Amino acid sequence: MFERLNAVEPPDMHIIETPFKASNAHPLAALTATPDRAPVLTLESVSVTARTSGADSVVLRDLSLTLAAGKTLGLVGESGAGKSMLGRILSRQLPEGFKVTSGTVDFAGQDLLQVSTEQHRQWLGTRIAFIPQEPMSALNPLMTIGQQMTEHLLRIGVGALECPERAILALEQVRLPRAAAILQQYPYELSGGMCQRVMIAMAFASLPALVISDEATTALDVSSQAHIISLLRGLQEQHGTAVLFVTHDMGLATHACDDVAVLYAGEIMETGPASRLFSAMRHPYTQALRQAIPEMTGPLIRLKPLAGQMPGVESFPDLGGCRFETRCQYAVELCKQRPPILQSLPDGQSVRCSRWAQIDLSAITPDVLGEHTPGQAMSGLQILQIKGLSRTWPGQRSWFGRKPGVEALKPLDLSVAPGEFIGIVGGSGSGKSTLARLIMGLEQPSSGTLILNDQALNFGEKDWRRRISSIQMIFQDARAALNPKRRVGRLLTQAMESHAHLHSERSARAIELAANVGLARSAIERYPTQLSGGQRQRVNIGRSLCDMPQILIADEIVSGLDVSVQAQIMNLLLDLRKEHKFSLLLISHDLAVVRYLCSRVLVLHQGEVVESGDTEQVLSNPRHPYTQALIASVPPTRSDAVWRAATPSDH
Amino acid sequence: MNTTSATEPNIAMVLIARPARLIWLLLRQALWRMPMLIIISLVVFVILRGIPVDPLNMLVPPNASSADIARLSHQLGLDRPVLVQYGYWLLAALHGDFGISIQTGTAVTAMILEALPTTLQLLGAGFAAGLVMGLGSGLLSFHLRGTRFEPAIMTLNGIMIAIPDYLWAIVLIISLGVGLQWLPFVGPIDAALQVRKLTGFTLLDSLLSGNAAAFASVVSHLALPALALGLCVATPIARMLHASLAEVYHEDYIHAARLRGVAEKPLLLRHALRNAALPTIALIGVQASVIIGGTLLIETIFGLPGIGALMLRALGAFDMQTIQALAVVYAITVQIVNLVISWALQRINPRLRSSP
Repeated sequence: MFERLNAVEPPDMHIIETPFKASNAHPLAALTATPDRAPVLTLESVSVTARTSGADSVVLRDLSLTLAAGKTLGLVGESGAGKSMLGRILSRQLPEGFKVTSGTVDFAGQDLLQVSTEQHRQWLGTRIAFIPQEPMSALNPLMTIGQQMTEHLLRIGVGALECPERAILALEQVRLPRAAAILQQYPYELSGGMCQRVMIAMAFASLPALVISDEATTALDVSSQAHIISLLRGLQEQHGTAVLFVTHDMGLATHACDDVAVLYAGEIMETGPASRLFSAMRHPYTQALRQAIPEMTGPLIRLKPLAGQMPGVESFPDLGGCRFETRCQYAVELCKQRPPILQSLPDGQSVRCSRWAQIDLSAITPDVLGEHTPGQAMSGLQILQIKGLSRTWPGQRSWFGRKPGVEALKPLDLSVAPGEFIGIVGGSGSGKSTLARLIMGLEQPSSGTLILNDQALNFGEKDWRRRISSIQMIFQDARAALNPKRRVGRLLTQAMESHAHLHSERSARAIELAANVGLARSAIERYPTQLSGGQRQRVNIGRSLCDMPQILIADEIVSGLDVSVQAQIMNLLLDLRKEHKFSLLLISHDLAVVRYLCSRVLVLHQGEVVESGDTEQVLSNPRHPYTQALIASVPPTRSDAVWRAATPSDH
Repeated sequence: MNTTSATEPNIAMVLIARPARLIWLLLRQALWRMPMLIIISLVVFVILRGIPVDPLNMLVPPNASSADIARLSHQLGLDRPVLVQYGYWLLAALHGDFGISIQTGTAVTAMILEALPTTLQLLGAGFAAGLVMGLGSGLLSFHLRGTRFEPAIMTLNGIMIAIPDYLWAIVLIISLGVGLQWLPFVGPIDAALQVRKLTGFTLLDSLLSGNAAAFASVVSHLALPALALGLCVATPIARMLHASLAEVYHEDYIHAARLRGVAEKPLLLRHALRNAALPTIALIGVQASVIIGGTLLIETIFGLPGIGALMLRALGAFDMQTIQALAVVYAITVQIVNLVISWALQRINPRLRSSP
């Protein structure tokens, strides 16, 4: 369906010449260079069926895609939409009980589903390469980078004598400095961004026809992400590789891909050129996703999260009509009855909605949704004052005494007013998590004082009680932070365990808290594993509110969540603030999230505050070069904006 | 983790500092074990002196006068405070002198050196047999995962794990020794054969002197005791390896390697096995003392003149000097095995090498 792009006139060209053209995601730039590129991958009405306890469930329905050489096709959607399923079909790694039941997968003229297992394995790593989601854990921890590179190079047919040279060349191609030394190192000695470069070097070593990148940049911080994307684009253009780019980040997809397919519950809802899809979307789901993403520029609009959650695989057989119907604000009776088909439109987009022509998505404008203000100070009081707080790690012991220490956090001053939401941003290793742990008392500061409610906070038993009754921490990974063997009700009221409470008192509080964080009353009796990711994060937040703290410290609490859930959680925090008047220290690498929630921001870089002030001011007029670079790394949500992150120099 | 090395790798650090650091770590390990040995010997010493058995009663004739006993007691230093006795003993022990055996009147050190090779030979053969059988059956059962052989092997393993080494010895003697008469089960070598003593290790001596018949005899005599000991080593290894392999196969790097087209066999042997071996090797370290202690009964059952047999005799005669010395020898052996284990773990796991 994407060949039709040839006929499309460019709407307006924003071609910026950068060495690797990372900012230029325009599909037509590549097309004009080589007019007809052969499709590398063609999927024709592929369906995957899963055996569930009930009826067989079609987890991927009628998937048709074409990916041409040198092009990038983005697959976006929330978790559970089936984005990764495509990669699993191609790698023949479908989960137990899942089977491709119909359709063909044509890879460079051969049916990928029909070739022998041995033939298929031969193709993996040579003609089809994968870039994984977690670069740090995708490399064998017991083998040096060199050993793993050599293994791969030998496998793709490089002679043993050439291997060292080729390995260095491959690492230099992904712009890793001191490649020869890196070959001697182990994965744990490298950063996540460096590991991902190694993975990319391996993926491109055999000059494959197709590269599948499954959330390859999700685990990296924004500046590494921008570097990796620019690298990927560069290698792709150099070798004419087709890239299948799976991501949950719509902003990233807009700028990293030529074409985008939006998946929901195992179906393609909408496809089209990346540059147009999010500016001229047609499907209500695409629109809903778009409305849930906080903006980096423009007026602050209250986000409109999608109600409910995506149906699970088990309930697919019960969905007779459109799979999005239950959450669609435009749904009518007809939508329930028969599934809509994917209609191709003359301008190159396709949409799976029977009512797309009747819906006027542009009717939903910012002013309809209403203005929004982030969490501002409610009074001039200062509940927490931080003076000269710092943390230095003692240096490693060596033959001649100690090496100089590492300053994880340089002396920092900060005061927190009631109701104030303060964002703390910075890359990995900037000291933002150290700051959180110091305030929470999980680590001893090297110097500095904390003054809580005009009284110094020390490290005695009494101080600890005072600290935890006023300051609470919400941990990043709700799945790991909640004891899987305890019911939600007990988890919510965990703070009450330190004192004697009546059972009835405790369950009453659990009901109250569940209602506060928007959980159904029935959820109280459940276990965390029975909840969705968003619900778990609600429990996590509710638990921290149990003792009515004055200050919440939230470490990346929305970063692992889908956009619609992220919007729900952010709105929840703002609503709870009105009621409980707590302050929030939000640690995040996502500047748009900080902008949406926080009235004040601190930018940390290498343990030092390089910039701070009013969020709007800092983000619109950054003074420090690091802040400027950080802001530039964020892929803009607007498709016509230019993503200037791709600087060839290394960090 | 060292952040400077993460950002600034340099060749010199990688090529010179790494081996140097490894040697230093091993040296530190060895030094750190010395006080442990001293404490062990002190504990044994005090306990032996605390037992209400008077070694003099074993030495003197029943009709000896109390003056005789006192004189002998003074001669042996038994009338001094225990800690002083220990000090003298330690001083001598550090020079390699463990005193005179009350039982035989010969030097304890010489007796132990005479018997030790037999035990070390048994231990070595037992460990080797155990490793081969354990790794083999662990890998095999994992390779057969999903088939009905996997639970069959694991069930058998579960039964075998419950059988102690001396019971294995008896089972093997009855089945292979007495029943089938395939292998001999008494003594270190055929009574008719002689091996010239060079190193004390009969396997090595028979080879060095080019005596093929003696070598064959030594191997066949070692087979059953080594097998009995090996079965004890093998069963937990197989179980641990099987479980760790299953766990490692869920790791991202296995998945990523498979996506690079690495075939199943190199995937198992090159990527999974090394990672799965880590907990297994650690387990061997934990088990080492049990296995080394096990030689005591195995040697007695098979009539091997090792330190186990020596120990049993010394215990019967309450030969304090010998018991004391042997306890230290056992402790040193366990420490050496643990040292080797931690060296092996450091060889395999780079993270253990670098952490300060």
